[in-house]
Amino acid sequence: MTADVLTTSGQTCLQSLLKVWFDFDLALSKAPIVKRLEQGRLSHEDYQKLLLNLRQQVIEGSRWITRCASSFNREYADVRSIVIGHAKDEHKDFLMLESDYVAVGGDINVIQNSSKNIGSEALHGFLMYRASQENPVDLIGAMWIIEGLGNKMASKWAELIEEQLELPKEATQFMRYHGENDEHHLEELYKLVDRVAVDDGAIKAIERTAKVVARLYILQLEEVDHV
Amino acid sequence: MSVYINSTGHYLPGPPIDNDEIENILGLVNGKKSRLKHKILQSNGIKTRHYAINQQQETQISNSEMAANAGLRCLDASYISPHQIEMLSVATSQGDLVLPGFGSMVQAELDISSVELQTSHGICSSSMMALKSAYTNIKAQESANALVIASELASRLFKHTRYEQVEGKEIDFNAEFLRWMLSDGAGALLLESQPRKTGKSLRIDWIKSFSHADVYPVCMSVGMPKNATKSWQDFPTYSEAEQAGALLLRQDVRLLDNIVSVGVNGFLKLLQDGMFKVPEIDHVLCHFSSAYFKSKIVEMLEVAGVQIPEDKWYTNLYERGNTGCASIFIMLDEFLATQDLSVGETLFCMVPESGRFNCAYMHLTVVE
Repeated sequence: MTADVLTTSGQTCLQSLLKVWFDFDLALSKAPIVKRLEQGRLSHEDYQKLLLNLRQQVIEGSRWITRCASSFNREYADVRSIVIGHAKDEHKDFLMLESDYVAVGGDINVIQNSSKNIGSEALHGFLMYRASQENPVDLIGAMWIIEGLGNKMASKWAELIEEQLELPKEATQFMRYHGENDEHHLEELYKLVDRVAVDDGAIKAIERTAKVVARLYILQLEEVDHV
Repeated sequence: MSVYINSTGHYLPGPPIDNDEIENILGLVNGKKSRLKHKILQSNGIKTRHYAINQQQETQISNSEMAANAGLRCLDASYISPHQIEMLSVATSQGDLVLPGFGSMVQAELDISSVELQTSHGICSSSMMALKSAYTNIKAQESANALVIASELASRLFKHTRYEQVEGKEIDFNAEFLRWMLSDGAGALLLESQPRKTGKSLRIDWIKSFSHADVYPVCMSVGMPKNATKSWQDFPTYSEAEQAGALLLRQDVRLLDNIVSVGVNGFLKLLQDGMFKVPEIDHVLCHFSSAYFKSKIVEMLEVAGVQIPEDKWYTNLYERGNTGCASIFIMLDEFLATQDLSVGETLFCMVPESGRFNCAYMHLTVVE
């Protein structure tokens, strides 16, 4: 990892985002399903439930990103292009989730017909709401959290799950795949931070959205045990 | 009320031992040379260290004796005599005895009377906990001075015979890892409510620590076997505990990189709380266990845009070894003895502990 954020306000923003990430990372480990995963007590059923719940939000994920792209006006045409690219990279991620679910013995009809859990509803609702505002620069904060999580899944969770459940790599495609585009996405995020975090107001908005998304993501994971 | 570090001292047992000699001291496990040793030493970058055991793995000096030696050297360089010490605050990860507390043993060894005693138990950051107790005690005007000592005798755990007791005689990576990381030594600091009469003192501006044991699993431990949570005390006999490998010092290396984000997280928190400013730091003394982790920390500080130039980092890890909780005091002592400091210069100290993830920070200013 190299620091590609060059402007002073970009660096201030990145510092806040890193802090939000670290706090999120700690809080994440306290969500019961994550605790079981990280402490070697995950069951097959847990992993199925996790995939089932994640899929309902991920399938909607490309909606907020594409809406976010379309909400950037002519002043932000360059940002819009980057966000479109991002949406394109991820709009079919849910297919991998479904295939993982089937690989661990889940029924395709079940995962395709389940509804969002309470946390996913809140997360999706918030993201769609923010994405509908004109020039939603604060959503860089949301991308930061979700991108960071993808990295964590690819670099830590996938291996832990395979080991505990004695699963082949074919059953953790969704988590593993997120590692592949990471380097590229991170570079783009750094660029975006420099581009949009130009004043204190923007930095605060980005930080706040990152915090809200972090909290709602954890709610989504907490709710996995309540479905 | 300010608190000052007015004197320091350290004690390292025996001669420096280089990488080729380590197994002459610790012994060959099952008569065979280690296949991991080279790789781990290459990653941690340590060139020499000291051991309190000899080539027959016999203890040459106890942990409390090393602690007392460091304490006396510290007092020798100060303006007060041992009988004036009001508080003794000590740290170790493993004393010579399970009970009583290490502090009692060190006090007896020092032969000082009627001190207020504090024993801090833990791993690398326990010295900072001992220091914080002493610092707050003086700040609250409960004592006018305190002798703080941290001492470690890890080599006892690394004797070849310890590994040979384990059933199956196979040593797993996690149990062998620390054999090539840790060594012995002690460091001491004298704290007073007034600056030193002549020469320079270090004013303690603040000490803060953040522990994350609620989030992370155990990463470094003695007392449980591989892949089990049973305590060594739950076995019918101690010999069965040893056979099960419950008494080996283990490091879950897969969890280890969490220490980097834990360390940088606290750094950013203190920064955002306005406890210090990065450009105003003149020297960084960070206890890291290996060159590998230092580079990770530096990298992450760079990402956060709060990098501290390489020439401000000081360490003596590579020559003195990783002496656990004693490291930061041994580092401070050598730093003060070898650097020409000016009034107003600042030191930022950081001690991350991987035991179950605690990280301590301290800010010091040079005063006259």
